[in-house]
Amino acid sequence: MTATATSTTARSSATGDAETLHLFARWQRHGDPAAREALVERFMPLARSLTRRYGRSSEPFEDLVQVASLGLLKAIDRYDPERGFPFQSYAVPTILGEMRRYFRDSGWAVHVPRGAQERALKVRDAQERLSNETGRAPSIGQLAEYLELDTGEVIDALQAIRAYETVSLDAPRVGHDDEVISYGDSIGGEDSRYELVELDATVSSALAHLPARDRLVLHLRFVEDLTQTEIAQQIGISQMQVSRLLRRSLEQLRTMTDAPPAGTAR
Amino acid sequence: MGAAPNVRLTLSSRAENVLLVRQALSGLAEAVGLDAVALNDLSTAVTEAANNVVLHAYGEGEGPLEVELTSSSSGLDALVADRGRGIGPRPDAEAISDGIGLPVIQALSDRVEFRERPGGGSEVAMHFALEQARPLDGLARLEPSGPSGPGPQAILLALAPAEAARTVLPRVLSTLAVRAHFTTDRITDLQLLADALVAELGTDGGGLLLELGVAPRNLELQVDRLPEGRARALLERSGPDGFGSLIARLSDEQTIRGSGPLQSLRLRVAQA
Repeated sequence: MTATATSTTARSSATGDAETLHLFARWQRHGDPAAREALVERFMPLARSLTRRYGRSSEPFEDLVQVASLGLLKAIDRYDPERGFPFQSYAVPTILGEMRRYFRDSGWAVHVPRGAQERALKVRDAQERLSNETGRAPSIGQLAEYLELDTGEVIDALQAIRAYETVSLDAPRVGHDDEVISYGDSIGGEDSRYELVELDATVSSALAHLPARDRLVLHLRFVEDLTQTEIAQQIGISQMQVSRLLRRSLEQLRTMTDAPPAGTAR
Repeated sequence: MGAAPNVRLTLSSRAENVLLVRQALSGLAEAVGLDAVALNDLSTAVTEAANNVVLHAYGEGEGPLEVELTSSSSGLDALVADRGRGIGPRPDAEAISDGIGLPVIQALSDRVEFRERPGGGSEVAMHFALEQARPLDGLARLEPSGPSGPGPQAILLALAPAEAARTVLPRVLSTLAVRAHFTTDRITDLQLLADALVAELGTDGGGLLLELGVAPRNLELQVDRLPEGRARALLERSGPDGFGSLIARLSDEQTIRGSGPLQSLRLRVAQA
């Protein structure tokens, strides 16, 4: 039924088909509520389609469909067939306008980052859980399937984990025996390894400013060529944490040296 | 418009590539500091324009989809173009993309022009007026061009300045890595590689010019138009002292291509 309605809608838009015009006449001139209802039913697929396109990352979806329906009603009441434009060309901006206003008024711009942060934490936790279960890092597809997100949302979450300090080093995480431990606690008992890196003759002066743990992680990744997952297992932190430590350390080193590397002609 | 773009993306008009366009846009929005509502407007409109190219520009076939994004003091400009039939001002425009695409673009942008391109194809130029926008220095150089010329499936990406490259490149690489079935630890390695490339090259006035490609469990990344000796220097040393070349360490195979004043550095990153 929906499919038929959509195709009828699409075809009707070019000409403003006779039946649609008739329904508008019945509603607008004679106030026939049944005609209005028929128009709503006829163009509801349009409202839903716009909701899908515009409200991609909005939840809950059905709330936004309600907002779009309100926009549709406004469009049905205000559309003037005499002006010769198909209903759609009037309805689309009216419905979108309603959704935009709703986003602005409801503080959606604030909710979305918050939702994104929650998603980032979910992705982080799922990443750890799947890694622990299988012994290897999951793919984005696996994460998306596990969390019922689309891949774009998982990429956004990875970006958020990377960009912000949403996942603090001290954020509690559940240990293997379900006791709550923090990342800070789990980085212990590696003193001899730290020393080893400390004694490395190639350690530059900038590197000496980094905490021993960060130096160790850099060393394991870039000198010993361990994977992030292997490092995570050795040190007892998550792979995401390893990736964040690596990124932060490299960024700190770049800021500290802040001079173009040797052999660079700019 | 007029200002030089900050992001130029040339790719094949297949549906999966629309996600790359959206991620590039999100990256630029992050660099400029746009809020979520503004980004949602932009992203919806640009997606419609890109989908129209995917669905209608080349009939049943495929062809180039070109996207340029420019941040200026008055807002953000997005140009979506094709070299096929495109969605120019045609009498049957309503029939395109179930008739919703064009009105959506018109409703969400502050100004839109549909133009025929000289030599075939058409383009949609959208302007979004944004108070939060700010000008960024755009690309000084034109197309990336490797010694062999890109294949039809290659993705050409040009980025400037460094602050835009820093947020766009990791997103684009991550999106491609999904196709290559990379795991999260390898994806974060790719992000580190992107950071390293931008840190080493991104401040170079002309911008960062890249050719990207995906094969099963492999991602190819070629940096084009490097001055002679630069590619070798990057493979000998990049990143902090004591670690050799971060760029070499984060990739599985490195090739320097071309000779003379301009060279390309081709990197392959594999998923174990």
